[in-house]
Amino acid sequence: MPHRELTHYAVSVVGADRPGIVAGVTGALFKLGCNIADSSCAMLAGEFAMILIVSHRKPFTKANLIEELKPVCERMAMTLSVRHLPLGEEDRKETAGEICQITVYGADQPGIVYRVTNTLATHQINIMDLQTKLAGTEQEPVYIMLLEAVLPDGLAPEEVERLLNGLKQELQVEISVRTVTPVEL
Amino acid sequence: MAVQPILKYPHPLLKKMAHHVDALDAAVHTLVQDLLDTMQAGPGSVGVAAPQIGVGLRVCVVDVSNSRHGKDNNHGLLCMVNPEIISRSGLAVMREGCMSVPDYTGDVERATEITVRFLDSRSGQQREVAASGFEAVAIQHEMDHLDGLLFLDRIISVSTGLFRRKQYR
Repeated sequence: MPHRELTHYAVSVVGADRPGIVAGVTGALFKLGCNIADSSCAMLAGEFAMILIVSHRKPFTKANLIEELKPVCERMAMTLSVRHLPLGEEDRKETAGEICQITVYGADQPGIVYRVTNTLATHQINIMDLQTKLAGTEQEPVYIMLLEAVLPDGLAPEEVERLLNGLKQELQVEISVRTVTPVEL
Repeated sequence: MAVQPILKYPHPLLKKMAHHVDALDAAVHTLVQDLLDTMQAGPGSVGVAAPQIGVGLRVCVVDVSNSRHGKDNNHGLLCMVNPEIISRSGLAVMREGCMSVPDYTGDVERATEITVRFLDSRSGQQREVAASGFEAVAIQHEMDHLDGLLFLDRIISVSTGLFRRKQYR
């Protein structure tokens, strides 16, 4: 259900990691009376990245939000981006298909993420979560990608494995597809 | 004997340690029947624990025989009073949903093989069952309720372990 009395914004903050980033940003939001509807923070190499969906009772503007967050971000040399979400966009749309976890790993090389995700996109497979990590040693880096995707109706997980089989050979990486079936207890 | 409403978190009883049952009296038999009725009324439910229907006693029921995950490997209906796990081995992650935590599912790591000892409310006898796979997961999930634990207490990461629930049939 869209929250008609609320206005939503997507806020992202990225910058060199240091203590106090989360407290600084969330403190400013708290002061404004914003509610954090959803958030995710990650350390990507040495950069700390925050993505937040914040809501505020109307009337409230993007300018209000930027005015309060900008000085905080400038003080910590973080980049700030704010986008207003049209009504209804803040609600996650559930898709009906089966959930799969796809694991890809192998010697690092350019294009692993693109090649795999492009194959998935071509078949209307929707990615819900994607994480990558560079592991191994400096001399022999190993790229690891873990993604979670929803298959369109009628597409079986074995078929996804088959679709990615060509890439497995071409990129010389390991690819496995595992069905995730939620159980009711 | 009736389908009872399922308590939803943050109801405080869901976070309390349930009490040991001293005797298999009429009240316990009624409780077990209520648990069965409630389990059978829940869509796709394979177990219910007493705290979920507002009773702080160490009683739960599990039956995975009608579930596609457990139909080939189960002990049928288990009506367990004072259950305790006496051995466990193996580990696997399963995405669990719970009637007391609607709308979300979470990835939880649990033992794949367990031996559980309990007082069987139907026979009145002590029983030991060696369960594996989905049945073992279901027993551990229901027994967690007796200790005031929800699957939320066991998820490893909110970002990678907690998911919006899909609709169950």
